[in-house]
Amino acid sequence: MAKDIYMGEVAANEEIQIDYFLMKVTLPLSFSEPLPGQFVMIRIAGLHDPFLSRPISIYSYTRGKSNCAIELLYRVVGKGTQILAGLIKGSQVEISGPLGGSYSIDHQKKNIVFIAGGIGIAPLSLLAEALCRKDCYSAAAMTFYLGAQTADAVVGLNRLRKLCYNITVCTDDGSLGQKSLVTKAFQKDIKKYSPSDTVIYACGPKAMVQSLSKILDGKYFCQVSLEERMACGVGACVGCVVAVKDGQGKLAYKRVCADGPVFDLQQIIWE
Amino acid sequence: MNPSNKKKDAAMAVEIGGLKLKNPVMTASGTFGYGEEYADYVDLNQLGAIVVKGLSLKPRLGNPPPRIMETAGGMLNAVGLQNVGVDVFIKEKLPFLRQYDVAVIANIYGESTLEYSQVAKKLSQAEGVHALEVNVSCPNVKKGGLSFGSDPKAAAEVTRRVKAETHLPVIVKLTPNVTDIAAIAQSVEEAGADAVSLINTLTGMSIDLKTRTPHLKNITGGLSGPAIKPVALRMVWQVAQKVAIPVIGIGGILTAEDALEFMIAGAKAVQIGTANFINPRATIEIIDGIRHYLQNNKIKNINDIVGTLRT
Ligand SMILES: Cc1cc2nc3c(=O)[nH]c(=O)nc-3n(C[C@H](O)[C@H](O)[C@H](O)COP(=O)(O)OP(=O)(O)OC[C@H]3O[C@@H](n4cnc5c(N)ncnc54)[C@H](O)[C@@H]3O)c2cc1C
Ligand SMILES: Cc1cc2nc3c(=O)[nH]c(=O)nc-3n(C[C@H](O)[C@H](O)[C@H](O)COP(=O)(O)O)c2cc1C
Ligand code: FES
Repeated sequence: MAKDIYMGEVAANEEIQIDYFLMKVTLPLSFSEPLPGQFVMIRIAGLHDPFLSRPISIYSYTRGKSNCAIELLYRVVGKGTQILAGLIKGSQVEISGPLGGSYSIDHQKKNIVFIAGGIGIAPLSLLAEALCRKDCYSAAAMTFYLGAQTADAVVGLNRLRKLCYNITVCTDDGSLGQKSLVTKAFQKDIKKYSPSDTVIYACGPKAMVQSLSKILDGKYFCQVSLEERMACGVGACVGCVVAVKDGQGKLAYKRVCADGPVFDLQQIIWE
Repeated sequence: MNPSNKKKDAAMAVEIGGLKLKNPVMTASGTFGYGEEYADYVDLNQLGAIVVKGLSLKPRLGNPPPRIMETAGGMLNAVGLQNVGVDVFIKEKLPFLRQYDVAVIANIYGESTLEYSQVAKKLSQAEGVHALEVNVSCPNVKKGGLSFGSDPKAAAEVTRRVKAETHLPVIVKLTPNVTDIAAIAQSVEEAGADAVSLINTLTGMSIDLKTRTPHLKNITGGLSGPAIKPVALRMVWQVAQKVAIPVIGIGGILTAEDALEFMIAGAKAVQIGTANFINPRATIEIIDGIRHYLQNNKIKNINDIVGTLRT
């Protein structure tokens, strides 16, 4: 049996902006090193309301001598995340993972473009870190477009600045960076990135991903991490599906938890 | 194996329509995939049986998302029986399960009595299937399923057709979305069912206040989890009094205590569904818990508590 449910201990849980929290959880060393894009299912042992675990992307991973730690960057949107927000240092949480597949990082391309909406920065930040670690060539090739509704919803920027020199920040109301949708800001620059020399990684709300899909028009290689409500997180319930084109171009429903959460943008079928 | 272990294990064994199980704890269809999804978390050899996701003759696409929604003490699902189809199951999923020393029960579904019998026939010829569970009770598909399960005559007809195609024990899985579940149980017993399992999910719904739309694309879905346990328990008790064949109890079981309640109400075995989602090791913990209960209460054999409700 390779996998387990881990008892994690909350080492820190801080409100970094209104409604946005950064939680650090220490775990035993048997928790494997996550790949960028992977997530955990988190719940509070014995709690039956809310009943199901919540999927949260892994934002960082560090390995010490006697244990390891992950960070989760999350936004309070409902009951489950509200309860997570209330946890204090020393609280126990049940964690299973790392789950799902990851972004692929073996492309040698001139341009590596990230497009993140809001909390979508979490998996992309881990990805940027992995690329920086891989080679300095990749580190220099990265450009990050980060969007949010307002300045209050821009999170993770300071850490990102250490990883990536070219960052364009956009907000819907102009309270930070450009007053623009993140996809529009990217579209303005699109001539800089020729399809054959560019790989694009995205994560954000459905509307953002959908408009990105229109802009790219199938011409670019783009991987995107998707979200759906989940129950099991391991592929057993077939509850978390999205519509994609299968090998023959026909409609198929794929599980975000087990077949994703990272998909090729071109595969996705929009309603 | 040392003799004391052997004795311990004999105390947990049950028999369902000729099928011998190590212990009375199985996984419920649709909540444990094809076994492989949880093989990293659970030693499948320890389970009483694995009931796989419902199989149809051809692969099924299933319903469009969103398919699930959490509710108080449970969840709604409208998966719509997305599955790989019986042929792919036999070719690609069954070999994995054959590596284990565990009973495999194939849950089957059809849109017609013909489809039920065709699926049953294919599975009966496959190596490594030990029993069939006939789903006449799925609330999330347009045709078949529930309509067979809510009419005693139709349920009996499906049972007869499946029995005619197979030498395997046939378990008929009943829906709670009927007025008199015991009448359906009696009807399938007369038609030759070797056991009945109950309950499948209760139809329900949930609404998003912001958008005034249903949370599920299918509008309605099947409710499962601890929220349905009292209803399931009552139905198991009612059915157990009316039929002589074994009853398998399902619905909201999270712990060994829950499972034992079902057995006292008359279930010879139980299935664990939604609990797997929040605790992948739920089945194993329940098996251990039942074993401890027997030891602590000096009960020699699990079968001794079946149907011992005092009223
Ligand atoms: C693979 C994956 C990775 C994720 N990573 C992060 C992350 O790093 N940080 C973060 O803040 N959030 C992340 N999410 C979203 C997070 O899971 C949901 O915000 C959370 O489950 C909401 O729980 P709740 O009880 O607070 O809200 P609920 O009361 O359950 O719901 C409140 C609102 O959130 C929506 N919602 C609920 N569950 C999900 C879900 N699984 N996906 C999308 N929307 C949902 C509901 O439709 C509703 O509108 C991720 C989701 C997935 C699938
Ligand atoms: C996501 C999901 C999928 C299911 N799929 C099937 C199925 O394919 N066939 C079937 O007979 N029952 C299916 N069921 C019903 C369960 O096997 C079980 O009867 C029900 O969930 C009640 O048990 P529980 O409360 O322990 O989950 C499904 C249930 C869930 C939650
Ligand atoms: S959450 Fe169960 S299959 Fe994805």
